[in-house]
Amino acid sequence: MIGRFVLKRLGIAFLQLIGVALVVFFMIRMLPADPVARLVGMNASKDAYEQSARALGVDQPLWQQLANFLGVFSNSGQKGLLQGNLGVSWVTNTPVLTEIRDVLPVTLEIVTYSLLLAFLIALPLGLASARKPGGIADRITLIWGMFAGAQPDFWWGLLFVFVFYFLLNVAPPPMGRIDPLLATPQAITGFMTIDTLLQGRFDAFLSALHHLMLPVLTLVYVVSGAIVKMVRTNTLRALQSDYILYARASGLPEAQVARYALRAALTPAITLVGIFYSVLLSAAVTIEVVFTMGGIGQYAVRSILAFDYPAIQGVVLVVAFVSLMIYLLLDIVHAYLDPRIRY
Amino acid sequence: MADRIVTVPEEIDQHIDVALLHTDTRFRFRERLRKDPLFLIGSIIVALSLFLAAFGPHIAPYDPTAATAEIAEPPPALSEWPGLLVGVIRGTNEAPPHWLGTDQSGLDVFSRVIAAPRTDITIALAGALLSLALGTIIGLVAGFYRNWATEIVMRVSDVLQAFPVFITAMLLVTLSGRSVINIVIALALVYTPIFVRLTRAEVMSQSARGYVEAARAAGNRPFMIALKHILPNSMVPALVQTSVTIGFAIILTAGLSFVGAGVRPPAPEWGLMISHGASQLILGEWWTSVFPGIAMTITVFGYAAIARAFEEWFR
Repeated sequence: MIGRFVLKRLGIAFLQLIGVALVVFFMIRMLPADPVARLVGMNASKDAYEQSARALGVDQPLWQQLANFLGVFSNSGQKGLLQGNLGVSWVTNTPVLTEIRDVLPVTLEIVTYSLLLAFLIALPLGLASARKPGGIADRITLIWGMFAGAQPDFWWGLLFVFVFYFLLNVAPPPMGRIDPLLATPQAITGFMTIDTLLQGRFDAFLSALHHLMLPVLTLVYVVSGAIVKMVRTNTLRALQSDYILYARASGLPEAQVARYALRAALTPAITLVGIFYSVLLSAAVTIEVVFTMGGIGQYAVRSILAFDYPAIQGVVLVVAFVSLMIYLLLDIVHAYLDPRIRY
Repeated sequence: MADRIVTVPEEIDQHIDVALLHTDTRFRFRERLRKDPLFLIGSIIVALSLFLAAFGPHIAPYDPTAATAEIAEPPPALSEWPGLLVGVIRGTNEAPPHWLGTDQSGLDVFSRVIAAPRTDITIALAGALLSLALGTIIGLVAGFYRNWATEIVMRVSDVLQAFPVFITAMLLVTLSGRSVINIVIALALVYTPIFVRLTRAEVMSQSARGYVEAARAAGNRPFMIALKHILPNSMVPALVQTSVTIGFAIILTAGLSFVGAGVRPPAPEWGLMISHGASQLILGEWWTSVFPGIAMTITVFGYAAIARAFEEWFR
């Protein structure tokens, strides 16, 4: 049963990714931008311009460019998207896939730690405020939750840098993922904290944690408001349901009733993880710029500002792919947790 | 609740009253202002943001884009404020005080902070309202007529929702030129799918209600039923979302200029100001970046407070 569901969802995700690829391909080519002029400069001769256009392949008809991008009826001699190749960056001449493989783990590391911490903080707060509406926990979280994650995250990041680096001097300067005096560990998983431990470099591990401190703090601060709000709503709904009324009427102890409500409130929270994962992936863009982390967000900013079409297509596709895979994974977990769901 | 007695008349258009009975009462603005302090604060902030969007650049004490001779001057100490204020009222100050200091280029921070809503609020409002309009129309049609054509619209909307919001907005603005109108269009495009989904879901649940059947039985044309009866009853989730979206749009607009893909300097804009001051922040020159961020946070808070009130009313 679950196998068929997963297969079906994978098929849908594949079609969606093809859709994303087509939309992004046509979108960047329909907008009035001239990537060749951007690369060769405004004062380049006509010859240089045309040579560059030929080298990039943008002198070819649109359908041929699309064919080369997808890898069907290609005339470039390169593999295309369907063979798992995202093309070569126009700026660095490196395969886009290689570049993204280096930068994606950076972002995933920040986002994963932020989400874990945010849930650890927001779950008990949300539960507490739902159990006593109008109580202290509820009042504390009311305004924070009202923002629902709509906070100028990059500004908070800068503010934290000012307070914790400049004033208190407990955080490192917002430059990079590790102390520049330490040798960067060899990338195995790409997660700096895991790689350093795998190689037994405890000093580098501490430095990596230290450099993660402020970016993670910023994202946790911004996103937990939204999580608290949703957990509170879900728990309130569960507490008002008939089966909780029945449990109370049967004289069950309050702690046991709370456990039932918790389980009912946690299942929708699983879906929230997916939503917040993609929210954080988006928020990470500006945060990475603030802290110069060199993740996929910063890579996106650089590629877009340089009109690097293959890199732009690659970033959008990979980020969409990660979101879709996380949604799928969570739907499977959801199906296991919630006995009412049958696929 | 009880102050409105609903009588169901025998006339042909009784479905209207049935509809009112279903969706309960109006949004009582005044009563809410009195009873809900958060809503009161939110309304004041929103009104102020609209006022500044209209008149901010005109009431600013300094030209927000013209440099003064004082460069990177810190704001006056709080203890000096009363004296300066008296000076302003009496007209005895030799020049208007730099309430929030000046930045690296000698621009008055206070003038820029209150002139910025002209850019930020206008873009955010236009973007959010445009996506509300587009989203409700598409959502209404897609929810009311369920056939292969609207199915395609929904699949396209699904694909668009898989796009990362910030990266897509940045892409659209950078490649089409960093102008105000292009930012508005980009915001509208990235936020429309949410409104389509919300409106469609509500339209579908409303379509099953009795009043729709009554309207049909009374011989109304299907399109008119959708427009005159279902649409007004399906707007609430989208309206709540609009208020939330305005907040997100303000942050997105500022975020775009922060990474260098939004409006161009020296336009007074919160994100530009924060980005301009960012490099000085770690040297201790905090006022250039901190004040626009505070203004932005307060503004977003105002729209969120209103959204919350709408949400509670809806539930």
